[in-house]
Amino acid sequence: MGKNPFILQMKGITKEFPGVKALDDVSLDVRRGTIHAICGENGAGKSTLMKVLSGVYPHGTYHGQIFYMDKEMKFSNIKESENAGIAIIHQELTMIPELSITENIFMGNEIVKRGLIDWNAEREHTVEILKRVGLSVNPDTLIKHMGVGQQQLVEIAKALSKNVKLLILDEPTSALNESDSANLLSLMKELRSNDITCIMISHKLNEIAEVSDAVTVIRDGHTVESYEIEDGYVDENKIIRAMVGRSIDNRYPEHESHPGEVIFEVEGWNVEDPEIEGKMVCKNSTFNVRAGEIVGFAGLMGAGRTELMRSVFGKNYGIYKSGTIKIKGKEVTINSVEQAISNGIAYVPEDRKSLGLNLLDSIEETIVSANLKAILSHGLISIAKQKKAAEEYRQSLKIKATNTQVGVNTLSGGNQQKVVLSKWMFAEPDILILDEPTRGIDVGAKYEIYKLIHELADQGKAVILVSSELPELLGMADRIYTIFEGTITGELQRGEANQESLMKKMTITSGN
Amino acid sequence: MKYIKQVLGGDLRQYTMVVALAALIIIFNIISGGRMLTSSNFQNLLSGNAYVLVLALGMLMVIVIGQIDLAVGSVAGFAGMVMALSYRDLHLPWYLTVIVALLIGLAAGALHGFFLSQLGIPGFITTLGGMMIFRGGVIWISKSISVAAPPELKWFGAGYLPEWGPKFTGMNNSTLLLGIIAIVIYIVVQLRKYKASAIGSSSKENLVAVIIRIILVSALISYFTWLFGSGREGTSFPIPGLILLILIIVYHTITQKTTFGRHIYAVGGNKSAAALSGVNVKKVYFLTMMNMSFLAAVAGILFVGRSTAAGPADGTSWEMDAIASVFIGGAAVSGGVGTILATMVGGLVMAVLNNGLMLMGVGADKTQVIKGCVLLLAVAFDVYNKKNGRTSASAK
Amino acid sequence: MLKKKLLATVLAAGMLISSLTGCGGREGAADNTAAADNTAAATEDTADAAADTAAPAGEGFEKGAVVGVSLPWLGTQNWKEAETMFKEQLEAAGYQAIVQAADQKVPQQQQQIESMIENGAKVIVVGPVDGSQLGAVLEQAKDAGIYVIGYDRLLENTTGVDGVVQFGSVKTGELQAQALLEGLAKEKGEGPYNIELFGGGPADPNAPNFFKGAMSVLQPKIDDGTVVVVSGQTDFTQCATPDWDNSKAQARMDALLSGNYSDKEIHGVLSPNDGIARAIITSCENAGQDIPVVSGLDAENESVEWVWAGRQYSTIAKPTTDLVAKTIEIIDSLQAGNGMPSTDVTADNGVIDVPIYELPPVVVTKENAKEVFANDPDRMELLK
Repeated sequence: MGKNPFILQMKGITKEFPGVKALDDVSLDVRRGTIHAICGENGAGKSTLMKVLSGVYPHGTYHGQIFYMDKEMKFSNIKESENAGIAIIHQELTMIPELSITENIFMGNEIVKRGLIDWNAEREHTVEILKRVGLSVNPDTLIKHMGVGQQQLVEIAKALSKNVKLLILDEPTSALNESDSANLLSLMKELRSNDITCIMISHKLNEIAEVSDAVTVIRDGHTVESYEIEDGYVDENKIIRAMVGRSIDNRYPEHESHPGEVIFEVEGWNVEDPEIEGKMVCKNSTFNVRAGEIVGFAGLMGAGRTELMRSVFGKNYGIYKSGTIKIKGKEVTINSVEQAISNGIAYVPEDRKSLGLNLLDSIEETIVSANLKAILSHGLISIAKQKKAAEEYRQSLKIKATNTQVGVNTLSGGNQQKVVLSKWMFAEPDILILDEPTRGIDVGAKYEIYKLIHELADQGKAVILVSSELPELLGMADRIYTIFEGTITGELQRGEANQESLMKKMTITSGN
Repeated sequence: MKYIKQVLGGDLRQYTMVVALAALIIIFNIISGGRMLTSSNFQNLLSGNAYVLVLALGMLMVIVIGQIDLAVGSVAGFAGMVMALSYRDLHLPWYLTVIVALLIGLAAGALHGFFLSQLGIPGFITTLGGMMIFRGGVIWISKSISVAAPPELKWFGAGYLPEWGPKFTGMNNSTLLLGIIAIVIYIVVQLRKYKASAIGSSSKENLVAVIIRIILVSALISYFTWLFGSGREGTSFPIPGLILLILIIVYHTITQKTTFGRHIYAVGGNKSAAALSGVNVKKVYFLTMMNMSFLAAVAGILFVGRSTAAGPADGTSWEMDAIASVFIGGAAVSGGVGTILATMVGGLVMAVLNNGLMLMGVGADKTQVIKGCVLLLAVAFDVYNKKNGRTSASAK
Repeated sequence: MLKKKLLATVLAAGMLISSLTGCGGREGAADNTAAADNTAAATEDTADAAADTAAPAGEGFEKGAVVGVSLPWLGTQNWKEAETMFKEQLEAAGYQAIVQAADQKVPQQQQQIESMIENGAKVIVVGPVDGSQLGAVLEQAKDAGIYVIGYDRLLENTTGVDGVVQFGSVKTGELQAQALLEGLAKEKGEGPYNIELFGGGPADPNAPNFFKGAMSVLQPKIDDGTVVVVSGQTDFTQCATPDWDNSKAQARMDALLSGNYSDKEIHGVLSPNDGIARAIITSCENAGQDIPVVSGLDAENESVEWVWAGRQYSTIAKPTTDLVAKTIEIIDSLQAGNGMPSTDVTADNGVIDVPIYELPPVVVTKENAKEVFANDPDRMELLK
């Protein structure tokens, strides 16, 4: 296979923000008709590089040159890069949920006839484009009625409608389940065969291995590694080493559990969907956790893992129908989050930004927010106590911030997650439910969070770990429950679980 | 520059509105030939605007939780009218009429709070309904005629502190005492803050800077003590001003120093995250709305006291003045941001502007136009700051 | 750095000292007790004087003194005229005039009056938004030794008023009703006549008086059946027009017509002013009724035209010129040290009896319009 010519060459890109050099002499060469992976820890500069490319940071605000299709490009806004055939699919989808697929695809680009929108033409085009991404749905479907995976496909379809040559996907599978991810990856391959070049920003090494033709690793604003993949073999460890600047021999820290008594028991838990009457999101769920034990929950996206946890956590989700909770052998009634917290339960939600944090708060305000009682003196909040508490966590968890008064919105994903974990550790729970605690976090920070989870277990806390990443569960959990469509379908000890056995129970109802 | 920063204790931008306020006062004082900075003018300024500032206290909290209350003016008018009627027709003693008015406020707030928290109807709509109900109510129960209020209430709306003690102080001794207390409290608070700043990694404050700050602010308080205290015999720091001052301290403490205050900001910043942190969102909504209408009743009482009668049009568009004060004070429309003190500065900017333009003989029409421009400029400035990644002029 | 520190400290200390000592003591407290006693005595004097209308010769004040005029708003012609005339005539007489309007807002007016006190006014003329809601402020003016003159509307519920210049409001109401009856007899043939009643803004103390005056004439005719109020609404609160708002009056007329006159003809309407009169006439036209006989007040330009064209039967001229002239006459008397002129009429404002300086209003119909406006070139222009 002869090598294609370069479609994009970024040379010596340097971008400075006040006080920070986000990119320092970064180069990127992408060949036409390939899938090029860019990896790097959060904050390494990947997104900044893509923003430079797409004109979000206009020409003149950075140093260096961009050659695209053999011409030097000086984009001054996104519109110009779009016209040149460059499109970005963002991590957060940018479509309007209340509008239909057609309306979204032609947003800002409407087909107009005599001053009015030509709906028929738009619909026809939409159907055609949807076919190219393998979607066969009614073009009038509202975006909000579609799954995340399908929405992403629509987003790609929208880019295709604009005659895209270079498609940039920013962590495209981070919100997708396994089958949707697979679907997306195969679509990328298909696009490649149609001479569309893709740049994929990703943390997921297995995906990179599956589809990419070339890899560029960025660390701290520098290009540290860039090579073309020969014969489809990807050395994952090489990438990891490049990303974190050290070798991680074991992605999961060594740990030996010492489970004690059962301290948390849920029995016959039934919860109805809040929107759809009669649809149960938790069906007769029964599980238990011992002190000092890490119990994993495996299940596909939408299987009801989060719903179960949130409903157990003070009936925060759905309509409770029946079921009991026993803590340390005693049955307790928990009707609100407040009661759940006072009964020693903590829940770290999967969606950090929309459920876990108030982005307007500082680090210290966040850390104390679930246990304000602990910082009261004479009935009033003591800023001194707040600072003291927060400072302890900042140091022990190595939260990267100059002080605790820094706003959480300025932190990277990993540090934000550490702040959220601190918040719940400060509430001194006995039972800690962690819902996707490492999502969107880079490898280095993941490792630290795993260590933290181990420490918590060693302190005798019961830890529930919900995760979509099977290797993570296999590496961390002492015991794993599988969930499928709201039903707990299996319970596997550490020794007997592997990816295949888990996957099997995650996809069938009567696995036991 | 860095040194000024240390003295002011933090971000210079936080003081933009304070500087604007000081500039307005000085400029108007020059233009009006010294008629701005006089005892009687500042006494009037406080008595005449206390009701709006009281409303702004509650409105700040409502806006922080991401809601809005359009009914405050109508509730104030209604509570004031019920008070006057219960005096005229039921012959209740004046203190009972005050209690009746406050209860009316609480009840109105409970109504708004119920619709917002239990039925989930947005505050905008809930209070739009409330606005119509209570505005109609005032006109209905008053038969559109002004009703004289208990004369004792005049003290609340336009009264002064008592005169006592030696004459050689050259001013009203109650005011003097108030000023001394204020300085003492300020010094204690500052020293405590200084001690707290030493905790953890945040940089410790410079002691000299703290002392200079204390001296400067004490000088300012002294000046205003003198300004308020040295007016005509029988005048002092006005009673409505004192009521306002007490409310400011109470609400500043509530918002900054209590769990309820934290919960308000939590709900406004991220409702779902707050709920998952154990905040009872419904309770926060309910209490905030109830508190707002309670303060509306207080404002109504102050106003009726000053006017000596409750009128059918009382409270018309007061909500707009209160909302403007909150936003000039840098609160965010989306909630979660804003402080009591910044709101008071915002309210005073409006009040001084109004007062200064009147002293210059500018009519109500043009005054309105200028106030509108100031609101837009202030908010635009704030938004500009945020866009540039800086903290809001009044962010916590 | 050290220099700056020092400088800042010195500055701060300087401010502190100057604020505490440099600015001296109490305002006008040079010989404070005596001065205070004097003021108190003076205040009592004026209050008493106001009560028994025997005006004492005051001290007067210099010719170029400040005179404040606070008007409720400028939304109708008469107030706009008053603003212009006060400004021109006070300045022509050598006073320093501050004329402001309050946009119909009580708090605004309170603050305006305060700023007039602040500006050292000797006399404040007040056309109140709500006559009963200025108590505390007017007393403050009184305490500062300022004369307060009510303009066009009574100032209620306060001791802080020295006199009120206005057209007899009860008398005005009587004239409106008489004009209505006269018009009905002239234009609508034999009775009984179907009529409706409108009142003014309830917050304006004059409005109930207009209505009272009108009813004193109409009630006997209602009782003997000459006129019939078809809707049965004869109580002031039923007939009142909040804020004198024309659109509210029109809405009420629309409702009355559709509810009571689907099979009847309306012959006459008692209207408290011209704006409302025009709203009523418009409403009747829209409902397909013949234009009824409608009274009015204020002789606004448009209504003068309508009277001339025969659409509105009558209006009443309360020439702003007369009111302003009378007010300035009083101000001149005060300036010369002659105190408030004497008058026989007083009105109880709830606290004290206020001297009233009443002026007679003039009914204007098509017949006499040219005579009434003979001296008013602007309005004569309309009668062509």
